[in-house]
Amino acid sequence: MNKYISIISAFFLLLIMNACQKGEINSLNTPVVGGIISNPTRSDLFNLVTGAESGMRNSFAPYLDGTGIIGREIYRFSSAEPRYTTDLLGGGTKVLDNNTFYLTNPWNARYQVIRQCFILQGSVANAREEVASAAQKKAFTGFAKTLIGYQLLLNINMTDANGARIPVADGVAQGPVVTDPAVVLDSVLKFLDEGKADLTGSEVIFPLSDGFAGFKDAAGLLKFNRALAARVHVYRKNWAAALTALNESFFDLNGSFSMGIYHYFSTNGGDLANTMYLAPNGAGEVRVAHPSFVTDLVAGDDRINKTALRNASASQGGLTGNRDVVIWTSLNSPISIIRNEELILLYAEAKIQAGAIPDAIVALNRIRTGHNLPSYAGSATTAALINELLYNRRYSLFMEGHRWIDLRRYDRLGTLPKDRPDDDVWTKYPLPQSESNI
Amino acid sequence: MLFPKSSLLVLLFLCSALASLAQQNISGKIKDAVSGKPIPGVTIRVPNSNRGTISDADGGFTLSVPSGTQQLLVSFTGYKSQTIKLSGSSSLNITMEEDFARLDEVVITGLATTVKRSNLANAVATISAKELTGTAPAQTFDAALSGKVPGALITANSGAPGGGISVKMRGITSVFGNSQPLYVVDGIFFNNSSIPAGLNDVTGAATSGNPNNQDNPSSRIADLNPADIENIEILKGASAAAMYGAKAAAGVVIITTKKGKTGRTKVSLNQETGFVKVRHLMGVRKFTAETAADLAGAADNPDPDVQARRNAYKQQFTTAQNAGKIFDYEKEMYGETGLVLNTGLSLSGGGEKTTFYLSGNRRQENGIVKHTGYFNNSVRLNVDHKLSDRVSLGVTTSYVYSSADRGLTNNDNNGVSFGVALSSTPDFVDLHPNNLGEYPRNPFAASNPLETRDKMMNNETTNRFIGGGNLEVRLQQSDRSSTRFIGRGGVDYYNYKTAALFPRDLQFEENTAQGHSIQGNTNNLNTNIGGFLANTFTISEKATLTSTAGATLETGYMDNIVTVGTNLVAGQSNVEASANTATRQFRQKYRDNGLFIQEDLVLLDAITLSGGVRFDRSTNNGDYKKYYVFPKGAFSWNITKMKFWNTPGIENLKLRAAYGQSGNVPPYGSKFTALLGSNIGGYPGILVDNLLGNSDIKPERQTEFETGLDVSVLNGRISLEATYYNKKIIDVLLRHALPGSTGYASEWKNSGDLRNQGIELGLTLVPVNTPNLRWNSTVNWWRNRSKVTRLIIPPYAIGAFGNSLGTFYLEEGQPATQIKGTVGSELKLIGNAEPTFQMSFFNELTIYKNFSLRFLIHWKNGGDNINLTQLLTDAGATSADFDELTHGGVKKGVYRPGAGDASIYVQDASYVRIREIGLYYNVPLKNTNTIKGIRLGVSANNFFTWTDYVGYDPEVSNFGSNTITTSASRGSNGLSTGVDVMPFPASKRASFHVGVDF
Repeated sequence: MNKYISIISAFFLLLIMNACQKGEINSLNTPVVGGIISNPTRSDLFNLVTGAESGMRNSFAPYLDGTGIIGREIYRFSSAEPRYTTDLLGGGTKVLDNNTFYLTNPWNARYQVIRQCFILQGSVANAREEVASAAQKKAFTGFAKTLIGYQLLLNINMTDANGARIPVADGVAQGPVVTDPAVVLDSVLKFLDEGKADLTGSEVIFPLSDGFAGFKDAAGLLKFNRALAARVHVYRKNWAAALTALNESFFDLNGSFSMGIYHYFSTNGGDLANTMYLAPNGAGEVRVAHPSFVTDLVAGDDRINKTALRNASASQGGLTGNRDVVIWTSLNSPISIIRNEELILLYAEAKIQAGAIPDAIVALNRIRTGHNLPSYAGSATTAALINELLYNRRYSLFMEGHRWIDLRRYDRLGTLPKDRPDDDVWTKYPLPQSESNI
Repeated sequence: MLFPKSSLLVLLFLCSALASLAQQNISGKIKDAVSGKPIPGVTIRVPNSNRGTISDADGGFTLSVPSGTQQLLVSFTGYKSQTIKLSGSSSLNITMEEDFARLDEVVITGLATTVKRSNLANAVATISAKELTGTAPAQTFDAALSGKVPGALITANSGAPGGGISVKMRGITSVFGNSQPLYVVDGIFFNNSSIPAGLNDVTGAATSGNPNNQDNPSSRIADLNPADIENIEILKGASAAAMYGAKAAAGVVIITTKKGKTGRTKVSLNQETGFVKVRHLMGVRKFTAETAADLAGAADNPDPDVQARRNAYKQQFTTAQNAGKIFDYEKEMYGETGLVLNTGLSLSGGGEKTTFYLSGNRRQENGIVKHTGYFNNSVRLNVDHKLSDRVSLGVTTSYVYSSADRGLTNNDNNGVSFGVALSSTPDFVDLHPNNLGEYPRNPFAASNPLETRDKMMNNETTNRFIGGGNLEVRLQQSDRSSTRFIGRGGVDYYNYKTAALFPRDLQFEENTAQGHSIQGNTNNLNTNIGGFLANTFTISEKATLTSTAGATLETGYMDNIVTVGTNLVAGQSNVEASANTATRQFRQKYRDNGLFIQEDLVLLDAITLSGGVRFDRSTNNGDYKKYYVFPKGAFSWNITKMKFWNTPGIENLKLRAAYGQSGNVPPYGSKFTALLGSNIGGYPGILVDNLLGNSDIKPERQTEFETGLDVSVLNGRISLEATYYNKKIIDVLLRHALPGSTGYASEWKNSGDLRNQGIELGLTLVPVNTPNLRWNSTVNWWRNRSKVTRLIIPPYAIGAFGNSLGTFYLEEGQPATQIKGTVGSELKLIGNAEPTFQMSFFNELTIYKNFSLRFLIHWKNGGDNINLTQLLTDAGATSADFDELTHGGVKKGVYRPGAGDASIYVQDASYVRIREIGLYYNVPLKNTNTIKGIRLGVSANNFFTWTDYVGYDPEVSNFGSNTITTSASRGSNGLSTGVDVMPFPASKRASFHVGVDF
């Protein structure tokens, strides 16, 4: 019997040892938020900045597709996702869904970056002096606030008068849904202005991707911040403030159209590929220009090259297009955030609206001649110039998320074509279900 | 820490030395009371000892018993147990009566205790080997359960080789916690994770409509070889399963594998040869020149481009038609006939002290899609050894190699999976390779599905070892008291290798990522160990008290690494031979431990009272040190065993009630808010997860009350088991939606309560019982109703793909399984995934002793699916009924997707199915010494189905059932079965069986 006693005792001992195994099992896969806020290292702060920059790209494709489809810039054909041609075009009796990918994915991704920026600010505030000096900390917070403003802008662009919530720092109770887009845009401006204040006199120590090439230092980020502010001021019809902001930005009437800030994409490991790129002449997954793209284009306009004629036209749901969108030529192509061509157009618009017609025409001609068109020869009235401006905004900023918003600003959504009898042109996205079910 | 060492020693001192007394030999024969046939395999045992033997093939036995032994216990599964008084004669002739009502069947109720079915307080389903695989074997173990468990909703996720089954006992146990039962094989906790192969990198399925992973991997329970199983007991809820602790909230499936028996070594060889075919094809649209043209746009469209395209399509169609090149790609893709070969060899036997069971099995099946299939090799060795009359040790070991090639199916957003590509491919395009083997580009989809099928690979390979031991020591034995120690432990280790290869010359790869090689490697180790002390104290003739105390510990560690190579070197699959690689890793670790005590009191062999309490903690809880307390109690009263009972004909009448609680631990990581990797431009970045963790997360608590009545009359030839249960889930764990403006899409929270109420009725009949014809029949009927009784968060949609396509929607006061969707501009109730009821009907007819016919009919009435397969074929203009007219002359295929009515695609998924049917013949053998038995049989599995459902099969789940959640991907939840998005079609099978026993 004795040998069994030893077996049993050993068994029990094993059990007891195991049962008394102590200790919490922590996160084995990722850092956790609580840890990084309390006492960050310099690398922690860098990682958070990189995450914020990187996160801005998440679900940006459905934003561009959605605004592009509703704004009748493109058709998006997909054998796997019929809602590009039903919901978004208002096909049949379909309406926009308040709880599906084309709305909730970009909406949530934008606020996620905003949350990240608040976490970054919280983390910076707790950083020791040896980690970042006061001036260095201001660069972090200035960058964070600039991104908050930009991300909020994209969301209110979608929902417009259905509103958005003004984001708040960690631990602060959420406010109501603000349904006046002007109020939300003013909040965007407030974030941008605070960002400007922080960036002024700051020192940037964090790395940014080459999407920020030329704008990686404090002066560059300040120009980026003001360029965004100029866009918002124009949306708010603050023409003078827009011109001031443009002056502080990288606006250059004679500069390269493409100079600006971009989302960097790459197929490298751990990075994100640009899914706005679809191989030309593809089938199944297709992004073609709306037929009106060509019919409305002035002959000779080189912006036709943003699209390329397909070998065979593509069709879905009774819609047909024959020009692929070729703005992005590979999975590694960057997508613009804001660039000089838009700034020139913002300048022109502010000048038209401020009554400075000759300045406006100079700017418009800069765009026209840059795209192989003769100088403007039309009437110099505000109405005619606005038509000209909108034409140029449509083609210069094709598929960069502008046309639908521009037509809404000028109350011209009614001019958009409806291709099928039951189609609709939506003026705004609904408020996401998660915002209203509270 | 449970038992102070001193008390352990006291117990050990109670053990007296083994008395070696004089012996006496007893021999005899055992026969069936009706047929008179000898019964082999009957256990003859001296009460309160390990001394015993088993009858041989002729029903004979010899046993040496200590002199002075008064009684022998004779028992055999399916027969009534008997106590035989020894009258001094050394020769016994025993006849045994069949136990139609299974009253003497012994059921495991605690971790270390058992109870006779006639005293059982719970409705415990048992499935014998014959019921599991004896009619028409399924491909995998999990599929073999379908239709056999009253109270369960069992759904095949897809027809892909290698299984993948969702099992839900008594309604919704959990939404985001574990909703699948715990599988315990010979005391070893058997891991049943589903680990995705990373196909999402190619399909992008989780990138837009629903963030949950839709790779639909197989469940690891499929690794188990069904032929090794002796018996299955299913504890359906907390009232029965509470002693299994935290992992048992969704029920426990207790599997006992075959063990050797003392006596001659028995060799058994079984061969199954059969085929599989697709169960049903949806059919495809037959185009005409005009409908082909319509693909480009309406005939009255003024756009010259559209008109040009119309003419081109018309031309293309006419050319194809004239050349006889109109194809049915659905049939071509899913129409293969797969060969099934299944060989099993087992050896079992042993001596007085040691018995063994050794088996090997090889199963090879081809799928209904070319280049798909399933392969499983397994070996098992179970050894039982008696060290002495007091100590016995059992060891079970098993090694499994399984490999499944599963094709590329289910939802995708890139037009690459077979079904999605087919859905927009009309019949007049030629996708076949030319004589150089070059596949044409499919102008109607992002991929050429024939090319994808022929060049891709999606393989899951598992190498798995499962081993465990069970030590039982009779510590003390006296007239009135017997104390046992039971120690049990097990290890379940597997390496799971996934390899998905998409060469760079595929249509959808050549201009984009230029090839994907996705190599995944997972190591998973689960251990469980437990020690129990059980004392049976006979207070008097009329009362017996069993006390059990024990401690259990379970640990788990999983490490999953997936490397994705893109821009591949031509012809290579090694991830190193690629321009870009990315690697993901996910690890999870837990430690659960529990302590319990249980008391069972049996009075007059008629009244059973039991009570117990269990303390559980887990490192997955917010407070990992805190023990949560889960009580249970049960009562049963078998009135027929009372003295006053003398109603003839009613053999058994039992009232029973049981109550129990158990906890379901939160998923790993739910207490953290993670910062996920998010790099850009070569810099490492971290981005806050959109899932907010909750450091206060606690287990959801299930409380279950069940009560019932069991009656059997006419000597057990009619038995009824009726059960009502009320199962509540308190503090249900939800990953509930937050306003997106918080920056978080969802948050972990104990958010409310659920309730499931249901009825289970089982009727067992033996209508005919003569030597030449015997008919057994079992009818089960069950239903469940679930309801969200309390929700402290706003109601929210938890999937599938948004309101416009129908979504599960959690709302206080409504069924947990309700489906809501947009109708017009309103969000309306449009369906419910829960069946109205289910029914199964099992029959066995034995004719002239040697023929037996068995069949199982399963009826699921009600329960809606979200049929997005039809949506996709409508959108792709290939639905078989596309051109039929509806609603004033609109084509159905045009009307349905444009109607703005989500209820159109939410469809009734009722079915009646002959799950299994088999005819077997035992060849009567005369004068043979070597061959002891030959069996021949034919069977058909899932062969006949009646349903109005339009998809491939009413059983389907795009989201799988227990797909793991990693840091970056969301796994399955407990609600989303029944979402149909281009699954691998279900198959049916038919086989011929030969079995030889030596």
